[in-house]
Amino acid sequence: MTKLKQTLENFIYTAVYFNESRVIALLATVISYIPGWAIFGQAGIALLFPLLGHGLYKALYSMVGSGRAVESPGTKNSDPNKNQQPAPDTGPIPDPQGFSGDYAADLKFIRDSIGSNSDLHFKEFTISGLQKQAVLIFVDGMQNDRQLNLQIMQFLVSEAAADSLSTPGKALSELPFSQINEAGDLTLFNQSVLFGHAGLLVEGLPQGLLIEPPDGANRALAEPVSEALLRGPRLGFSEVLSENTSILRRQGFNDQLEMRSYRAGTRIRKDLVLAYMKDIVNLELLKEVETRISKLDIDFLAESGYIEQLIEDNYLSPFQQVQNTERPDRVISALLEGRIAILLDGTPFALIVPVTFSMLLQSPEDYYERWLPGTMIRLLRFVASFMALMAPALYISFISFHPGLIPTELALSIIETRQGVPFPSIIEVLILEVSIEILREAGIRLPKPVGPAMGIVGGLIIGDAAVNAGIVSPFLVIVVAVTAISSFSIPMYSAGITLRMLRFLGMGFAALLGMFGTILFFLLLCSHLTKLKSFGVPYLTPVTPYRLSDWKDLFLRAPLSLMKRRPIMMKTQNNRRKS
Amino acid sequence: MFTRTDDKITATQAAIFLNNTVLGAGILTLPRGVSDAVKTPDSWLSVLLGGVIVMAVVTLMVKISQQFPGKTIFQYAGSIVGRVPGALLCLPLILYFLILAGFEIRSLAEVTLFFLLEGTPIWAIILPFIWAGTYLVYGGINSIARVFQIVFPISIMILIICYALSLRLFDIDNLRPVLGEGILPVIYGLKSTVLVYSGCEVVMTLVAFMQRPEKAVKTMLIGIGIPVGLYFLTVVMVIGGLSIDSVVTSTWPTIDLIRSFEITGFLFERMEFPLMVIWLMQMFCNFCSFFFQASLGISQIFRLKVHPVIYMLIPVIFISAMIPKSISEVFSLGDFIGKSGLFLFMLLPVLLSIIWLIRRKGSKQHV
Repeated sequence: MTKLKQTLENFIYTAVYFNESRVIALLATVISYIPGWAIFGQAGIALLFPLLGHGLYKALYSMVGSGRAVESPGTKNSDPNKNQQPAPDTGPIPDPQGFSGDYAADLKFIRDSIGSNSDLHFKEFTISGLQKQAVLIFVDGMQNDRQLNLQIMQFLVSEAAADSLSTPGKALSELPFSQINEAGDLTLFNQSVLFGHAGLLVEGLPQGLLIEPPDGANRALAEPVSEALLRGPRLGFSEVLSENTSILRRQGFNDQLEMRSYRAGTRIRKDLVLAYMKDIVNLELLKEVETRISKLDIDFLAESGYIEQLIEDNYLSPFQQVQNTERPDRVISALLEGRIAILLDGTPFALIVPVTFSMLLQSPEDYYERWLPGTMIRLLRFVASFMALMAPALYISFISFHPGLIPTELALSIIETRQGVPFPSIIEVLILEVSIEILREAGIRLPKPVGPAMGIVGGLIIGDAAVNAGIVSPFLVIVVAVTAISSFSIPMYSAGITLRMLRFLGMGFAALLGMFGTILFFLLLCSHLTKLKSFGVPYLTPVTPYRLSDWKDLFLRAPLSLMKRRPIMMKTQNNRRKS
Repeated sequence: MFTRTDDKITATQAAIFLNNTVLGAGILTLPRGVSDAVKTPDSWLSVLLGGVIVMAVVTLMVKISQQFPGKTIFQYAGSIVGRVPGALLCLPLILYFLILAGFEIRSLAEVTLFFLLEGTPIWAIILPFIWAGTYLVYGGINSIARVFQIVFPISIMILIICYALSLRLFDIDNLRPVLGEGILPVIYGLKSTVLVYSGCEVVMTLVAFMQRPEKAVKTMLIGIGIPVGLYFLTVVMVIGGLSIDSVVTSTWPTIDLIRSFEITGFLFERMEFPLMVIWLMQMFCNFCSFFFQASLGISQIFRLKVHPVIYMLIPVIFISAMIPKSISEVFSLGDFIGKSGLFLFMLLPVLLSIIWLIRRKGSKQHV
């Protein structure tokens, strides 16, 4: 290329000499500005990298997304057929077997299908008033045995009237149990019995009755462990769905709190409840959530985290798009803002959708304290999250690239303390950051009495010894410690993890390009956050798009009397908080 | 609608979009450029005068765009003069945006090389920057406008703080005498002040994205008014702080001004670091805006999908950033851009308006 250019130039210069044509002279200047091969090569790299990234993203997206039920509305789907789900696999659930109406045959079927369980009891007896055979089927430990034995048996054996057990419709209304259902088919009857209901099968009655809801062993209600507060209700959710919904109900008198129950999971089915305020929630949002819930396609939902991951908008984003909480007060205030809660049986963690970034930095306590302390603490959290994200990156870029930008004396003293450190600052930071992360992880796994002590002692000893051994500089120990503490001050544990994860990315940027890299990292993060949506709500609302009236509850926590309206971003049906 | 999928931006976003497109490289170079041309302390008058002219231009652009609601210049140029001539008219505009994007990146790279990353190869600065910009532009006008909304308050705040702190160096005598040599130097200065407002051509596409285009005139005037005010402030503070003689000799006079004082007892002794940070972010906004406009133009003229166009433009922008051989050539490229901006103004809004008026008159007579 260069050679070609040179000959061309030579030719043109001679041409200019002989012809004195200005056009050709112009051509010569133009050619002299055509860059060399290296530039074109770099331009090729410039193109290649985003294309590779794009391809990788697409591949990853379709790979992860193939097992997913939901295609979020925000993402553009190039090939709609690719993500179509195969017909739902009904394999694990056998075709429902209806009641035959013949007592002996039905009982035999039940015995055949679930009778081999050693904890299942069949109690056969004769109803004296009716002279009919009946059987009570129940599982060990799921019922209050005394009540079952004494009262139910007593009633059934001696008191039950003839006509109440003869027709199915009547049985439901006339038997004196508060909880009584008819099981439509034998499969459901079997499942319910094994789940803890007491099943009753009566000769001549063409349906099974399910009496007494399950009453298995549960832990007592306790203070939420993951979201401790100084001031505020000490009540946390428990593992039992009915208890959780009752806690929500008991927040106060209201007839608009609606809960709709669904059953999800293809092999082991679990109850989940959508809770919302009927007169506040945006109906389109509700519909969207219902659609996503109905598409859940997994054999077992072990925890609400499963739901979270299956319904979120963008699963390649490091940011959570669903909030989880153990606190009923947090849930109820979210409902009053027009959000929707999803409660799953078997876990104390409820999910709140949609979520915005600022929610992750808010704690219910902000509202319980007076507004000035609340505001101050909230601002503190914003500073803390910035530090948790950026402090090590800033340290690296200042120390390795621009010591001239910090005050001279500080720079001198840092450099002095770093004299004995043989590593570049990125390695130095990585050593300490990784050991802090390991300590944090170990602190969670250790038994409760040992955990905190271990963390502090480990941190202190490692920090001190590392400085003495000349692996890290004392200033860095301060930076890393402040960073770690900052990340723990974020009220949502999962948001703290996100920031900690991104911190390492920021350190990489800073190590490569210094301050410039750090700024690029920040801009990339902003770009990503502006693209992100949670159930159609832009993640950074109300920072951008500006919703100035929502700013009263963003960095500041305005006095309660000023917060007269619900957040605009939720587009609620009824937006006034005060009458 | 709870979930919005249309590409519309609010009036605030549009104003900030325009502001962040125009406010950029000029913060660092304008005082020197304009003082070079004016040679008297009256540069600030040139800036103001240039601002007034640009405001008039912007108003004209908005007016013509408002006649075609929901359509960008690339679309309505076709409906005014026919598809092929329209495309031919718009191609210079796209080229202009591409050169501008390259110019912004190049001046960013030069400043970064000079102040932050000495000895780094220039491609190592340009490439990541283009990639980050691509990621943002890929998200469409909504993402861009939102990022601008985040950057805007930060940069304005820090800029104002920097200038407020430099008040201690401010000497009103440096700005005197006013009009000591008559009005002529001010007129000469206009040619360099027009450059800093180059980029206001985005108005012609921006109006199409507004939720309420009927408010466009006011919005866009606010959007251009903020940079006019800030540039005015920049020139006044820098010339007032450094005096015209040292401004003319310095490459980046604004940074020199900020560097020349220290605030002891503060986390940063010099405000140079925050200024660099916001300037880099502002340049990112500039670049993304032009990148977006260019890709939008090509995709609309040639009826292509916008995402492949974005990828195809990456090497073009990279090469356009690498073409100037030295920093002085970068500056002369800047001058060239300013002049071609003037040419484009004559070509597009003026010519299109005239043709449109004639055609409308003609069609009315037929009716």
